[in-house]
Amino acid sequence: MHEASIVLSLLDTLSDRCRQEGYRSIESVRLRIGMASGILPEAVTFAFEAAKHDTLAENAELVLDIVPLGGFCNSCRNDFEVSETYVLNCPLCGSDSFTIRKGYELDIVEMEVN
Amino acid sequence: MKVKVVTRILEANDRIAEENRKRFREHNVLVINLMSAPGAGKTTLLEKTIRALDGALKIGVIEGDIAGTDDAERISGTGVPVVQINTGGACHLDANMISEVLPDVPLGELDVLIIENVGNLVCPAEFKVGEDMKVMLLSVTEGHDKPLKYPLMFRESSVMILNKIDLLDRLDVDIDKIRKDALSLNPSIKIFEVSGKTGEGISAWAEWLRGQKLP
Repeated sequence: MHEASIVLSLLDTLSDRCRQEGYRSIESVRLRIGMASGILPEAVTFAFEAAKHDTLAENAELVLDIVPLGGFCNSCRNDFEVSETYVLNCPLCGSDSFTIRKGYELDIVEMEVN
Repeated sequence: MKVKVVTRILEANDRIAEENRKRFREHNVLVINLMSAPGAGKTTLLEKTIRALDGALKIGVIEGDIAGTDDAERISGTGVPVVQINTGGACHLDANMISEVLPDVPLGELDVLIIENVGNLVCPAEFKVGEDMKVMLLSVTEGHDKPLKYPLMFRESSVMILNKIDLLDRLDVDIDKIRKDALSLNPSIKIFEVSGKTGEGISAWAEWLRGQKLP
Protein backbone atom coordinates (compact mmCIF):
# COMPACT_ATOMS: atom_id res chain seq x y z
CA MET A 1 0.00 0.00 0.00
CA HIS A 2 2.84 2.42 0.80
CA GLU A 3 5.00 1.24 -2.10
CA ALA A 4 3.63 4.09 -4.24
CA SER A 5 4.92 6.68 -1.73
CA ILE A 6 8.25 4.90 -1.61
CA VAL A 7 8.55 4.99 -5.40
CA LEU A 8 7.70 8.71 -5.46
CA SER A 9 10.46 9.33 -2.91
CA LEU A 10 12.81 7.24 -5.07
CA LEU A 11 11.98 9.26 -8.21
CA ASP A 12 12.54 12.52 -6.28
CA THR A 13 15.94 11.35 -5.08
CA LEU A 14 17.03 10.17 -8.55
CA SER A 15 15.75 13.29 -10.33
CA ASP A 16 17.56 15.55 -7.84
CA ARG A 17 20.76 13.62 -8.44
CA CYS A 18 20.38 13.88 -12.23
CA ARG A 19 19.76 17.62 -12.10
CA GLN A 20 22.81 18.16 -9.87
CA GLU A 21 25.06 16.15 -12.15
CA GLY A 22 23.53 17.25 -15.46
CA TYR A 23 22.26 13.84 -16.64
CA ARG A 24 19.42 13.94 -19.16
CA SER A 25 17.71 10.60 -18.64
CA ILE A 26 17.77 7.42 -16.60
CA GLU A 27 18.05 4.12 -18.46
CA SER A 28 17.87 1.77 -15.50
CA VAL A 29 17.76 1.77 -11.73
CA ARG A 30 18.98 -0.98 -9.40
CA LEU A 31 17.48 -1.26 -5.90
CA ARG A 32 18.33 -3.53 -2.99
CA ILE A 33 15.26 -4.62 -1.02
CA GLY A 34 15.43 -6.71 2.14
CA MET A 35 12.79 -9.37 2.70
CA ALA A 36 12.04 -7.97 6.17
CA SER A 37 11.72 -4.37 4.95
CA GLY A 38 7.94 -4.56 4.73
CA ILE A 39 8.03 -3.88 0.99
CA LEU A 40 6.46 -6.07 -1.67
CA PRO A 41 8.76 -6.16 -4.73
CA GLU A 42 5.85 -6.66 -7.16
CA ALA A 43 4.10 -3.60 -5.74
CA VAL A 44 7.29 -1.53 -6.14
CA THR A 45 7.57 -2.59 -9.78
CA PHE A 46 3.91 -1.83 -10.40
CA ALA A 47 4.15 1.61 -8.77
CA PHE A 48 7.37 2.43 -10.63
CA GLU A 49 5.82 1.64 -14.01
CA ALA A 50 2.85 3.86 -13.14
CA ALA A 51 4.84 6.77 -11.69
CA LYS A 52 7.79 7.04 -14.07
CA HIS A 53 5.91 8.81 -16.88
CA ASP A 54 6.91 12.44 -17.42
CA THR A 55 10.03 12.00 -15.29
CA LEU A 56 13.67 11.56 -16.24
CA ALA A 57 13.09 7.85 -15.59
CA GLU A 58 10.35 7.61 -18.22
CA ASN A 59 12.14 4.86 -20.15
CA ALA A 60 13.97 3.34 -17.20
CA GLU A 61 14.07 -0.32 -16.41
CA LEU A 62 13.78 -1.25 -12.73
CA VAL A 63 16.03 -4.01 -11.40
CA LEU A 64 15.45 -5.37 -7.90
CA ASP A 65 18.02 -7.29 -5.88
CA ILE A 66 16.14 -9.11 -3.12
CA VAL A 67 18.12 -9.69 0.09
CA PRO A 68 17.09 -12.59 2.36
CA LEU A 69 16.84 -12.05 6.09
CA GLY A 70 20.14 -13.10 7.60
CA GLY A 71 22.06 -13.02 10.84
CA PHE A 72 24.67 -14.53 13.07
CA CYS A 73 23.72 -16.97 15.82
CA ASN A 74 25.38 -16.22 19.16
CA SER A 75 24.92 -19.83 20.30
CA CYS A 76 26.01 -22.06 17.39
CA ARG A 77 28.24 -19.28 15.97
CA ASN A 78 26.98 -19.75 12.40
CA ASP A 79 25.68 -17.30 9.83
CA PHE A 80 22.15 -18.07 8.68
CA GLU A 81 19.71 -16.91 6.00
CA VAL A 82 15.95 -17.37 5.73
CA SER A 83 13.41 -16.36 3.10
CA GLU A 84 11.02 -14.95 5.71
CA THR A 85 9.90 -11.53 6.86
CA TYR A 86 10.97 -12.21 10.45
CA VAL A 87 12.97 -14.73 12.46
CA LEU A 88 12.42 -15.68 16.12
CA ASN A 89 14.94 -18.50 16.46
CA CYS A 90 18.19 -19.49 14.79
CA PRO A 91 17.09 -21.84 11.95
CA LEU A 92 20.17 -23.99 12.56
CA CYS A 93 20.10 -24.59 16.33
CA GLY A 94 16.89 -22.97 17.57
CA SER A 95 18.57 -20.45 19.87
CA ASP A 96 16.84 -17.11 20.37
CA SER A 97 20.13 -15.29 20.81
CA PHE A 98 21.19 -13.94 17.43
CA THR A 99 22.09 -10.73 15.67
CA ILE A 100 20.27 -9.67 12.49
CA ARG A 101 22.76 -8.56 9.86
CA LYS A 102 20.67 -8.08 6.74
CA GLY A 103 17.15 -8.15 5.39
CA TYR A 104 15.95 -4.61 6.18
CA GLU A 105 17.55 -2.92 3.16
CA LEU A 106 15.66 -0.28 1.19
CA ASP A 107 18.57 1.05 -0.82
CA ILE A 108 19.33 2.55 -4.18
CA VAL A 109 22.44 0.81 -5.55
CA GLU A 110 23.07 2.42 -8.92
CA MET A 111 21.48 3.89 -12.00
CA GLU A 112 22.42 3.99 -15.67
CA VAL A 113 22.16 7.49 -17.08
CA ASN A 114 22.70 9.54 -20.23
CA MET B 1 27.09 5.29 -18.08
CA LYS B 2 26.55 3.62 -14.72
CA VAL B 3 26.45 5.82 -11.65
CA LYS B 4 26.73 4.45 -8.12
CA VAL B 5 24.00 5.99 -6.00
CA VAL B 6 24.36 4.32 -2.65
CA THR B 7 21.60 5.80 -0.52
CA ARG B 8 18.29 4.94 1.08
CA ILE B 9 15.30 4.81 -1.25
CA LEU B 10 13.55 7.05 1.26
CA GLU B 11 16.38 9.59 1.33
CA ALA B 12 14.05 12.38 0.16
CA ASN B 13 11.73 11.69 3.12
CA ASP B 14 14.56 11.09 5.59
CA ARG B 15 16.16 14.42 4.71
CA ILE B 16 12.98 16.33 5.54
CA ALA B 17 12.54 14.25 8.71
CA GLU B 18 16.02 15.33 9.78
CA GLU B 19 15.12 19.00 9.18
CA ASN B 20 11.97 18.54 11.30
CA ARG B 21 14.08 16.94 13.99
CA LYS B 22 16.45 19.90 14.08
CA ARG B 23 13.51 22.25 14.61
CA PHE B 24 12.21 20.05 17.43
CA ARG B 25 15.68 20.09 19.04
CA GLU B 26 15.91 23.88 18.79
CA HIS B 27 12.76 24.08 20.90
CA ASN B 28 13.69 21.18 23.22
CA VAL B 29 10.50 19.32 22.35
CA LEU B 30 10.33 15.53 22.70
CA VAL B 31 8.45 14.10 19.71
CA ILE B 32 6.51 10.86 19.69
CA ASN B 33 5.13 9.14 16.61
CA LEU B 34 2.04 7.25 17.85
CA MET B 35 0.94 4.41 15.60
CA SER B 36 -1.69 1.67 15.64
CA ALA B 37 -4.35 -0.05 13.58
CA PRO B 38 -7.63 1.86 13.13
CA GLY B 39 -9.80 1.68 16.22
CA ALA B 40 -7.08 0.56 18.63
CA GLY B 41 -7.77 3.61 20.79
CA LYS B 42 -5.04 6.16 19.98
CA THR B 43 -7.21 9.22 20.45
CA THR B 44 -8.78 7.92 23.67
CA LEU B 45 -5.32 7.08 25.01
CA LEU B 46 -4.20 10.63 24.22
CA GLU B 47 -7.22 12.21 25.90
CA LYS B 48 -6.67 10.10 29.04
CA THR B 49 -2.92 10.69 29.04
CA ILE B 50 -3.32 14.46 28.72
CA ARG B 51 -5.85 14.48 31.57
CA ALA B 52 -3.67 12.19 33.75
CA LEU B 53 -0.69 14.53 33.29
CA ASP B 54 -2.88 17.46 34.26
CA GLY B 55 -0.47 20.07 32.93
CA ALA B 56 2.69 18.42 34.33
CA LEU B 57 3.89 18.24 30.71
CA LYS B 58 2.94 20.79 28.11
CA ILE B 59 1.65 18.60 25.30
CA GLY B 60 0.76 19.41 21.72
CA VAL B 61 -0.81 17.04 19.20
CA ILE B 62 -0.74 16.62 15.44
CA GLU B 63 -3.65 14.47 14.29
CA GLY B 64 -3.20 12.48 11.09
CA ASP B 65 -6.31 11.13 9.43
CA ILE B 66 -7.31 10.33 5.88
CA ALA B 67 -10.33 12.63 6.31
CA GLY B 68 -12.31 14.45 8.96
CA THR B 69 -11.58 16.47 12.09
CA ASP B 70 -13.33 14.37 14.76
CA ASP B 71 -10.07 13.38 16.46
CA ALA B 72 -8.71 16.93 16.51
CA GLU B 73 -11.97 18.16 18.07
CA ARG B 74 -11.73 15.50 20.78
CA ILE B 75 -8.13 16.44 21.59
CA SER B 76 -9.04 20.12 21.50
CA GLY B 77 -11.56 19.37 24.24
CA THR B 78 -8.67 18.59 26.60
CA GLY B 79 -7.35 22.12 26.15
CA VAL B 80 -4.04 21.33 24.43
CA PRO B 81 -3.03 22.77 21.05
CA VAL B 82 -3.87 20.45 18.16
CA VAL B 83 -3.35 20.57 14.41
CA GLN B 84 -5.23 18.29 12.03
CA ILE B 85 -3.65 16.82 8.90
CA ASN B 86 -5.94 15.19 6.35
CA THR B 87 -3.85 13.01 4.09
CA GLY B 88 -6.60 12.78 1.49
CA GLY B 89 -6.08 9.08 0.96
CA ALA B 90 -2.47 8.44 1.94
CA CYS B 91 -2.22 5.61 4.46
CA HIS B 92 0.50 7.21 6.59
CA LEU B 93 2.05 10.55 7.52
CA ASP B 94 5.36 11.45 5.92
CA ALA B 95 8.00 13.98 6.90
CA ASN B 96 6.82 16.59 4.39
CA MET B 97 3.24 16.59 5.72
CA ILE B 98 4.61 17.31 9.20
CA SER B 99 6.96 19.99 7.89
CA GLU B 100 4.04 21.78 6.21
CA VAL B 101 2.00 22.11 9.43
CA LEU B 102 4.89 22.99 11.77
CA PRO B 103 4.25 26.75 11.43
CA ASP B 104 0.88 26.08 13.10
CA VAL B 105 2.39 24.13 16.01
CA PRO B 106 3.46 26.32 18.98
CA LEU B 107 6.75 24.44 19.50
CA GLY B 108 8.09 27.12 21.87
CA GLU B 109 5.31 26.36 24.36
CA LEU B 110 5.63 22.54 24.36
CA ASP B 111 7.52 19.84 26.24
CA VAL B 112 6.13 16.96 24.18
CA LEU B 113 4.62 16.81 20.70
CA ILE B 114 2.61 13.68 19.97
CA ILE B 115 1.99 12.90 16.31
CA GLU B 116 -1.00 10.59 16.00
CA ASN B 117 -0.41 8.75 12.76
CA VAL B 118 -3.04 7.42 10.37
CA GLY B 119 -4.57 4.19 11.70
CA ASN B 120 -2.57 1.47 9.95
CA LEU B 121 -0.29 -1.25 11.30
CA VAL B 122 1.89 -1.41 8.17
CA CYS B 123 2.89 1.76 6.33
CA PRO B 124 3.55 4.32 9.10
CA ALA B 125 6.44 2.19 10.42
CA GLU B 126 8.39 2.89 7.22
CA PHE B 127 8.29 6.70 7.19
CA LYS B 128 10.31 8.78 9.64
CA VAL B 129 8.71 12.13 10.43
CA GLY B 130 11.48 13.48 12.69
CA GLU B 131 10.35 11.75 15.87
CA ASP B 132 12.50 10.80 18.87
CA MET B 133 10.58 7.59 19.40
CA LYS B 134 7.85 5.48 17.92
CA VAL B 135 5.13 4.32 20.29
CA MET B 136 2.66 1.72 19.09
CA LEU B 137 -0.70 0.84 20.50
CA LEU B 138 -2.19 -2.62 20.09
CA SER B 139 -5.65 -3.36 21.43
CA VAL B 140 -6.01 -6.90 22.75
CA THR B 141 -9.19 -7.29 20.65
CA GLU B 142 -6.98 -7.34 17.56
CA GLY B 143 -5.68 -10.80 18.50
CA HIS B 144 -2.38 -12.32 19.56
CA ASP B 145 -1.19 -13.04 16.01
CA LYS B 146 -0.42 -9.40 15.24
CA PRO B 147 3.31 -9.20 16.17
CA LEU B 148 4.20 -11.93 13.69
CA LYS B 149 1.85 -10.63 11.01
CA TYR B 150 3.14 -7.04 11.19
CA PRO B 151 6.71 -7.51 12.45
CA LEU B 152 8.14 -4.21 11.20
CA MET B 153 5.89 -2.07 13.40
CA PHE B 154 6.90 -4.05 16.50
CA ARG B 155 10.56 -3.92 15.56
CA GLU B 156 10.57 -0.16 14.98
CA SER B 157 8.68 0.84 18.13
CA SER B 158 10.36 1.73 21.43
CA VAL B 159 7.12 1.25 23.34
CA MET B 160 4.10 -1.03 22.92
CA ILE B 161 0.96 -0.10 24.81
CA LEU B 162 -1.60 -2.91 25.07
CA ASN B 163 -5.06 -1.34 25.24
CA LYS B 164 -8.55 -2.57 26.15
CA ILE B 165 -7.29 -4.94 28.85
CA ASP B 166 -10.65 -4.52 30.61
CA LEU B 167 -12.02 -6.88 27.92
CA LEU B 168 -9.49 -9.68 28.51
CA ASP B 169 -11.88 -11.94 30.45
CA ARG B 170 -14.27 -11.97 27.48
CA LEU B 171 -11.67 -12.73 24.83
CA ASP B 172 -9.69 -15.80 23.85
CA VAL B 173 -6.64 -13.66 23.21
CA ASP B 174 -3.32 -14.86 24.67
CA ILE B 175 -1.70 -11.67 25.98
CA ASP B 176 1.44 -13.57 27.04
CA LYS B 177 1.98 -14.56 23.42
CA ILE B 178 1.69 -10.92 22.32
CA ARG B 179 4.32 -9.94 24.91
CA LYS B 180 6.61 -12.86 24.06
CA ASP B 181 6.47 -12.39 20.27
CA ALA B 182 6.91 -8.62 20.53
CA LEU B 183 9.96 -9.10 22.76
CA SER B 184 11.37 -11.71 20.38
CA LEU B 185 11.10 -9.25 17.51
CA ASN B 186 12.37 -6.36 19.62
CA PRO B 187 14.04 -7.30 22.95
CA SER B 188 14.20 -3.67 24.11
CA ILE B 189 10.53 -2.81 23.55
CA LYS B 190 8.90 -1.34 26.67
CA ILE B 191 5.40 -2.70 27.34
CA PHE B 192 2.48 -1.05 29.14
CA GLU B 193 -1.00 -2.47 29.69
CA VAL B 194 -3.87 -0.02 29.84
CA SER B 195 -7.59 0.39 29.51
CA GLY B 196 -8.71 3.57 27.81
CA LYS B 197 -12.20 2.87 29.11
CA THR B 198 -11.53 2.33 32.82
CA GLY B 199 -8.29 4.31 32.99
CA GLU B 200 -6.36 1.34 34.40
CA GLY B 201 -2.62 1.60 33.72
CA ILE B 202 -2.82 5.10 32.22
CA SER B 203 -1.01 6.74 35.15
CA ALA B 204 1.96 4.32 34.88
CA TRP B 205 2.35 5.15 31.19
CA ALA B 206 1.87 8.88 31.82
CA GLU B 207 4.48 8.84 34.59
CA TRP B 208 6.93 7.02 32.35
CA LEU B 209 6.36 9.61 29.64
CA ARG B 210 6.94 12.36 32.17
CA GLY B 211 10.30 10.81 33.06
CA GLN B 212 11.57 10.75 29.46
CA LYS B 213 14.56 12.95 28.74
CA LEU B 214 15.42 14.55 25.44
CA PRO B 215 18.07 12.59 23.53
